[in-house]
This record gives sequence, structure tokens and C-alpha cells, in this order.
Amino acid sequence: MKTIMELRADLDNKKVTSEELFKEANKKAHEYQDEYNSFVTIIDEYKKNESDSLINGIPYSLKDNISTKGILTTSSSNILKDYIPVYDATVYKKLKNAGAVLVGKTVLDELAMGGTGTTANTGIVKNPWDKTRQIGGSSAGSAASVALGITPFSIASDTGDSIRKPAAFGGVVGFKPTYGRISRYGLFAFASSLDHVGCLTRCVEDCAIVTDILKGKDERDMTSLPDDGVKYHDMLKNDIKGKKLFYIKEITDKELYKDASEETKKVLDKFKETIDKCKELGFIVEEVSIDEKLLKAIYPSYMTISCAEATSNNSNLTGIIFGPRGEGNTINDIMFDARTKGFSELIKRRFILGSYILLKENQERLFKNAQRLRRIIVNKMNDLFKEYDAMILPTSGGVAPKFDSDIDRMSDRYLILENHMAIGNFGGYPSITIPNGFVDDMPIGINITGPQFMDGEVLNIAYKIEEHLGFKGLGKE
Amino acid sequence: MVTIDDLKDYASRLMFDMDSEGYERTLKEFETVEKHMALIGEIDGIEEIEPMTFPYEIYHASLRSDEAMDCLSVEDVLANSKEVENNQVKVPKVVDR
Amino acid sequence: MYKLTIGLEVHCEVKTNSKNFSSARNEYSDNPNTNVDTVDIGLPGILPVVNKEAFRKSLKMALALNCKTPDVVMFDRKNYYYPDLPKGYQITQMEKPVGVDGYVMINVDDKDIKVGIHDIHLEEDTASMEHNDGYSLIDYNRAGVPLLETVTTPSIHSANEAIAFLEILKGIFLYTDVSEARTELGQMRVDVNVNIRDEFDNNLTPRVEMKNINSFNNVKLAIESEEKRQIDLIEQGRANEVVQETRRFDEEKLETLSMRSKVDAVDYKYYIEPNIPPIKIDDEWINAIKKEIPMLQYDRINIYINEYGLSRYDATVIVKEKSISDYFEETIKLGCNPKSSANWVTGMILGYINKNELKIDDIYLTPKMLVELIEMVDKGEISSKQSKQVFTKCLEEGMEPKKIVKKLGLTQITDDKVIRDIVVKVLDEHPDLIIDHKKGKNTFDFFVGQVMKATRGQANPGITANIIREEIDKR
Repeated sequence: MKTIMELRADLDNKKVTSEELFKEANKKAHEYQDEYNSFVTIIDEYKKNESDSLINGIPYSLKDNISTKGILTTSSSNILKDYIPVYDATVYKKLKNAGAVLVGKTVLDELAMGGTGTTANTGIVKNPWDKTRQIGGSSAGSAASVALGITPFSIASDTGDSIRKPAAFGGVVGFKPTYGRISRYGLFAFASSLDHVGCLTRCVEDCAIVTDILKGKDERDMTSLPDDGVKYHDMLKNDIKGKKLFYIKEITDKELYKDASEETKKVLDKFKETIDKCKELGFIVEEVSIDEKLLKAIYPSYMTISCAEATSNNSNLTGIIFGPRGEGNTINDIMFDARTKGFSELIKRRFILGSYILLKENQERLFKNAQRLRRIIVNKMNDLFKEYDAMILPTSGGVAPKFDSDIDRMSDRYLILENHMAIGNFGGYPSITIPNGFVDDMPIGINITGPQFMDGEVLNIAYKIEEHLGFKGLGKE
Repeated sequence: MVTIDDLKDYASRLMFDMDSEGYERTLKEFETVEKHMALIGEIDGIEEIEPMTFPYEIYHASLRSDEAMDCLSVEDVLANSKEVENNQVKVPKVVDR
Repeated sequence: MYKLTIGLEVHCEVKTNSKNFSSARNEYSDNPNTNVDTVDIGLPGILPVVNKEAFRKSLKMALALNCKTPDVVMFDRKNYYYPDLPKGYQITQMEKPVGVDGYVMINVDDKDIKVGIHDIHLEEDTASMEHNDGYSLIDYNRAGVPLLETVTTPSIHSANEAIAFLEILKGIFLYTDVSEARTELGQMRVDVNVNIRDEFDNNLTPRVEMKNINSFNNVKLAIESEEKRQIDLIEQGRANEVVQETRRFDEEKLETLSMRSKVDAVDYKYYIEPNIPPIKIDDEWINAIKKEIPMLQYDRINIYINEYGLSRYDATVIVKEKSISDYFEETIKLGCNPKSSANWVTGMILGYINKNELKIDDIYLTPKMLVELIEMVDKGEISSKQSKQVFTKCLEEGMEPKKIVKKLGLTQITDDKVIRDIVVKVLDEHPDLIIDHKKGKNTFDFFVGQVMKATRGQANPGITANIIREEIDKR
């Protein structure tokens, strides 16, 4: 499977037409659907606008929590199983205007609230590298669609690590830019203060290309950033010699994981090898220590903030104006019935937790303390970013988990290693996952996170590391 | 401490119900979250920190100029509603709160 | 002693072109669901974008209510489920509203009273519902219309004070052009909190809330009936039966009925709206808005009474509408005697515009013309009776008073010599009546009548009378 730039060349040289690319993607999407379940909806009709953008004529997929006028958008939940939006998300509009061709809407963990790819109302998404394993979530179908070579890129959302984790498990690249860089208008809100739109691709260059097209101020999103007036694509090859990276000792030190699995140890070894390679490239890489207590608090705070915001954001799902109508004789009964039938138990548990967190008597102790912890972490990171250009860390302590594995992200063993990427959402930092080779024949990733607004710089660093590691265009097809 | 009945009350205020195992599992999750959050509450000086809502201070937000624009057609407004009458959404009779 | 204690929460729709958080038209009397944007029906993925004009008007109102405005304004979510609230939360202001800690001066029975303003905040209206037999229909045109909520402190102690406050508040909305505040259209709706305290301000009953009262008269009736209910229960030793609750005022039965008690109280789970970044308010903006606020009714009334010598009644009538008050003040600026101007404005002019359902700015007679008209009377050029004729003609024909006087030949004869010649002539013709007069018989009026007849009523009556007296004395 080719990258955007390779397909661009083929299209420009008339080796292939856009329609042929679409048909091939459509065919693969159907072929793989039963096996991997990447899509909620596969588009069978070729439709595109004319444009001279780099993605003109390139097929792509879109996470099914992004509003597409006239195309079913379910957020992989029964509560929206028949919802056909009447408006386009800003990103979808931009992609259409840029001439990109939509192949399908991808499966996600229900309402984007999950990290396994196993909680969609239409079934589990399987990992293209090993069907007995998860691809991770919540952007499960998007990661699979790129890893399977169905589309060279997919547009998705990231609230905790929903793009960057499945990218690692699928051996592809996943990037979320600075909070506000890409408009959220039309992204079904999970936790508004943490939600980002981003992309999954086969290489860093493609992330830059897509982000260049999607970024910019949107009058529909008050938190969207004014255009920074640069093309990230032009910055990829900038010299990185002397740039400073750091990694966190408490996350990466093998000594701290004495009873860890062999797999985890291999992942950490791999990470250290990559650090050495970064130094070869001319990066200055240093180890930094952060109070473990703070790191351990990231995930609980993330859960607290995101569940609280989610319970409010999803209060519009009552089946009155849209979504399946509940049964009953009173207005309360029909709302109650629609929501009881519409949400899975996991979602309900999170909503209950979220509403409990927001109760007057609990806000100070739970919600506000979590928000305070968020500030402590962000202040700490901002201080570090005064000295360093980016942070580099393993994306996970292991390869994609088996479906039958029982990983408790709250357990001590996984608390930090599996959840640190939420730092990127706390501070709205540009953050990218790129492949870092294989452990036990499964892909693993590294994550590079930089200071707010420095999207081009982060992509530049990632591009250089990707180039040196040689895992560009990884994929299973 | 929170009880199963509390959880049921929270759920019903959120307009849904689930089976009893669901509430049991929720209770366990509550304990975990409370445990972790208690640790956060013990962090030195945490009460003096200003809670953070936005990832960074946003200075660039501009307010919308007050121009009425074309919006959804009536058909689009009602497109997804299951019951419609006289161009309005129809629901069982609402009695005053 | 029973001290009735009242707090008011007044919701008033802000006059704008578009809604508070969407670009849909702010006009809900149109056909159902024709002014609705994605944001207003809470479709998945929508984001609110604050209307600058609604925001500016809220700040204006906050300043007009003498509130403190914060450096940074934030919006919050109020979470609850109700079919008229599509998002499942209302965007409002809790932590940092546009104004806090203000006051409004009112005057009741010639006593000045300060009503405290706890806060004023900008929020959004809900959808409207039409209730039919067995079902309801929802129209989202009203959903998202900017709504300003003014919350008083419990500093009101009678139904009359409450009404005086509401009148003044409505006046401020109108004077500042923030809202049309038409209660009959539901643009202004009032929640009333009532309880009874003793003379030491101890609560004898808990606070009872009555929601969504749509006319000032009903506010008065609701307060009076609730006051009576609570005091009756206290006197019967059943004060404990007054519970903190929401009651509904029944317009027909003229009593309040229980709706829900504190036990069912909803925790609205307020938290900061994460899609609206804090809005910074700088001094420059505040000062610019301050300049737009005209002098308000309370201050105008005081000036009219203390400086212009008007009665409180007249002053109150004049300030009722800003355009009328401005008209009046314009005449003063042009040098008119305030009392004469007030007489004209409250009399002929108000009578005319009320009868014809006009606005004062629509009539032909400008303040300058009114001043000229009054001057003609004061100088004796026309009689007071004639001035009324001129006034009517002026409005009917759209012609300046001076021209009308000329056209109708109404100018009075004040020239001593002209009148004296006529008087001499009349007296010469009736020597017998002069004798009668000297004998004490009243023939004076006859002479006046004859002079008027000879001048077709244009002779100045005062001058004429004097000259007749002088000429008779000479004989």
C-alpha cells in the first residue's frame, strides 16, 4: 500500500485514476469487512470535488463520530444507530473541498469512550497483524483501515490516546495536533476540553500533508486556533541537530518494572535502542525525573474529567429530535427507554461516574482536584518544554493485547505506562506516534510530544526519526 | 459511602437503568476512582491550584458578529425525528415541571 | 411583626438579530422550526459561538444596574433533562457572570428604596411547546434566544415594591435598548421568592418559589396570596407546614399550588462550558458601553421634580417612554419653561399619540415647534385656546405652527392704538350703556364683545379690557 505522496505521483503521472483508486479501496473495504470489521458504512458511490490539493483524488476513511451530511453517523452506539446528519463537520467539508474521496465511516469504541476497539455496537475490530488481538481504540476502524492498506489515511479523534494508541498497535502513524489547530465542529463530543481531531497515516509526511489541509480558524469553533501561516509539509526536512528531547525515567526505566512481562521488557529495550538512534541523528536526549505520584494521578484524573464532561455532552441523546425513539406513555418514559436501550453498560457506568463527579458535594474533591492535577501536570510539562523541544516515550508497555487478556488500566502495573499519552490531551500538545519496530512479530510505537503550537516542529522531529528507524509505510496487507 | 441505591438514583436522573450486575460493577469502579482520587487529594498544596478547564489560556477566541444567517431547513430540523406534526416534533404530553 | 421578604429573578429576552450561540434568526413568532440551526437542536458535534451583540448588551445592562463587571466572563453548563432543552444542558453563567453586586433605586409612596442586584447573567432560552390533548408539539425557534436573568437580593418587602422594581427594570431594558421587554409576548418572565421574617430578620418560613409569572399584575397577586398563606399558617401555629418548594400561581383560583418540594430538587451539576473560552473585558470596552447608557428613569424623575418643579405624577408620566422624555428634555434645552412643556407633553401630545397609536417621534410637531407654539402664547400672540387649534391643524396638515397662525390669520391684535380706535368707536355708538355702567349695571362684557366682534376675535382680551376701562373713566 502506498503513501499519499506515492499515490499523488501515480495520479499526476496518469498511472491510475482517482476512480480506480476509489474502486480498489472500496473492494478491499468489502473484502476485509467480515474479517476485521473496520467500517460502519462503506461508500459504494464514487464522488469527488475538483481541487489541486495534494490529497485531490486520494481515498480516505473517516471515524464514525464525525458528522457527514446524508451519510449514517452512529458513533458506534445503538443510541445513534439510525442517525443521518443534516450537516457536515468542518473537517469533512475541508476534505471534500480538497478533493479527497471518502471510502467509509470507521468503527470506534462506543461514543469514543474506550481504548480497545471491542465496544462498538457493530462488533469488535480485529488487529490486521494478528486477528486474535485488539487493534486498540477508540479509533479502531481508522487504524485498521490504514494498517490493512484500504486507505492511505483516516481522520479520527483523540481524547486520551484514541488515535495514538491504535496507531501503535496497528503499526501506523497517528498524529493529533495542538488543541484548536483543527476545528472540532462536527466531531461528536466526548470530553470537549480534551477532544482533538487528528489523522492516521502510513508515514509522517502524510500527517503533515493532511494537517496542512485541515488546520485553521473555524468560525464555528471558538477554541479553534488562528492559522499559523506555515506549511508543516515544508518543515519536515529541517535540520534537527542539537534539538533536545527528554524521556521520563519513571515511565521508561526497566529497573522499575522488576516483575514485568518479557514483552514489556522487550518494549523498553527497544525504546532505549531508539533513544540511542536519536542520539546518532544528532538529538540531545536526556532523562528527566517526574514525581511518580503525579504520573500515577494522570489516568484517574483523566477518567474523572472525561467521564464528567461526557455525561453532559451526551445528554442530547434522548431519541426525541434524532436517534431511535423510546417506547412509553410519558415524555420521561420515552427518553428513559431510548437511553436504557441505546447505551451499553460500560457507557452507562461511565455516565454514572461522571454525574457523581459533578454533584455539588463531590465537585471539589473529585472534579476540581482532577482539574488541579491537570494543571500541575501541564505546568510541569510547560516548564520542561522551555528546555526541551519534545518528549519521547514508548506508546505502551506491550504489543496489542489479546482479546482474552484482562488489562486493568487502573492497576499499579499499567497505571503509568499505559496511560501517559493523556498528557498530550491535558495540555493540548501536538503528539505523534510512529512505528518503532516489532516485538514478538507485533508492531510497537514510540510517541513524540512537543510544546503547544509547535506542530511543525514535532512533525519535523518525527519525520527525522522515522527516516532513521526505517519503518516508514509499515502495514499489513 | 455510596450504595447501590444511590447508583440507581444517579442512573435514573440520567434517564436510564441497567441490570443489577451493572450496578455492582459500577460500585467497584467507584471504589477504585475514589481510592485514586484520595491520593490526588493528598498532594501537597493541591487546594491552592486553580482548576484547569482549558488546555492553555485561549486569547484568540473571537465573538460572532450578530448576523442572522441561513440555517437548517424545516425538513432538516425534523429529518431525524420519529414523530412530527405541523412541522413540529411530537412527543407525549408534557406536564409542567 | 411579619416582614414580607421577596427576591425576584427576572428573565428577559435580548433584542438581537441572531441567537445567543448560533446564527439562526432571533425571531420565534415565525412559522415553527424555521429559525433553527444545528446548535439550537443540540445535534451531535455542535459547538456554541457567542453572539457579540448579545454579550455587549448584557454588559450594558449590568452597568445600567450598577453592577461590578468582572475582568473575565465565563459561561457554565446547567445540566438537566427536559424536552424543551435539546442539548440536555443550558448554557448560562454561574461563576463569572456579566455583572454582580449591583442595585436599582425605586420610589414607592414617595420613599426611595434601594433594591440589591445579586447578579445578572446571560443564558439561552428553551424551545416552546404547544400542549394538546394527549401530546405536545415542540418548536425550536425560541431555543437559543439570548436571555438575560436579573437576580435581586431579598431586599423587597411588599408587592408594590416588587411591581415598582419590575417597572423600573423594564424601563431600563427599554432605555438601554437591550430588550423590548414585552411581557405580553413572554419576553419578560418573573420568578418570585417569598418568605416571612420577623423584625430581626429571622426567617419564620422558608423560601417559596413561584416560577414563570408572565404579567406584573400576576406577580402582585401571587405575592399577596402567598404572603397571606404563609402568615395564616404562622398564626395557626402551622409555620412548619410552609416548606421550601416551588409553587405555581393559579390565575383563576388566585392562589398558589404546590409543584415540587426540595426533596425532588435537581442538582444541576454546574461546570464551566469547555467550548467557550473565557472572554476578557477591558476598560476600553466597558467605557465605550457606559457612554451608550442614557440617563435612566429614576434620575430623570428626580431632576424633573427637583429642578423643573414638576409633580412626581407628571414626571413619572413623561419618563415612561424614553422618546417622550427625550422630547420633553429637548424643549427644555431650547429654553422652554418646563411646566408649560410638561403640560403640553402630558396633555395634548400624549392624548394625541395615544389616541392615534403613534410614537412621539412620528408626529409632525418637533420639540422646536412646540417651543415656538408655547412662546406665541406666552407673548400673547395667540390665545391659549387658539394654540390648541394650531396644534391640531399642525398635526393634521403637517405645517409649522407659525405658518398655521399666519394662514388662519390668528395673530392677536396687541397694538394699543388699533384697539383704542375700535374701543372709542364702540363707546361712541353706545353712550346710554356708558351711563348704565356708571350706575353700576354690568355692560362691560358687552363692550368687550363688541370689540371682539369688530376684530374677529383677534384683539388681545387683556389689553382690550384695560383700554375699555380707561376710555370709560375718561367719559
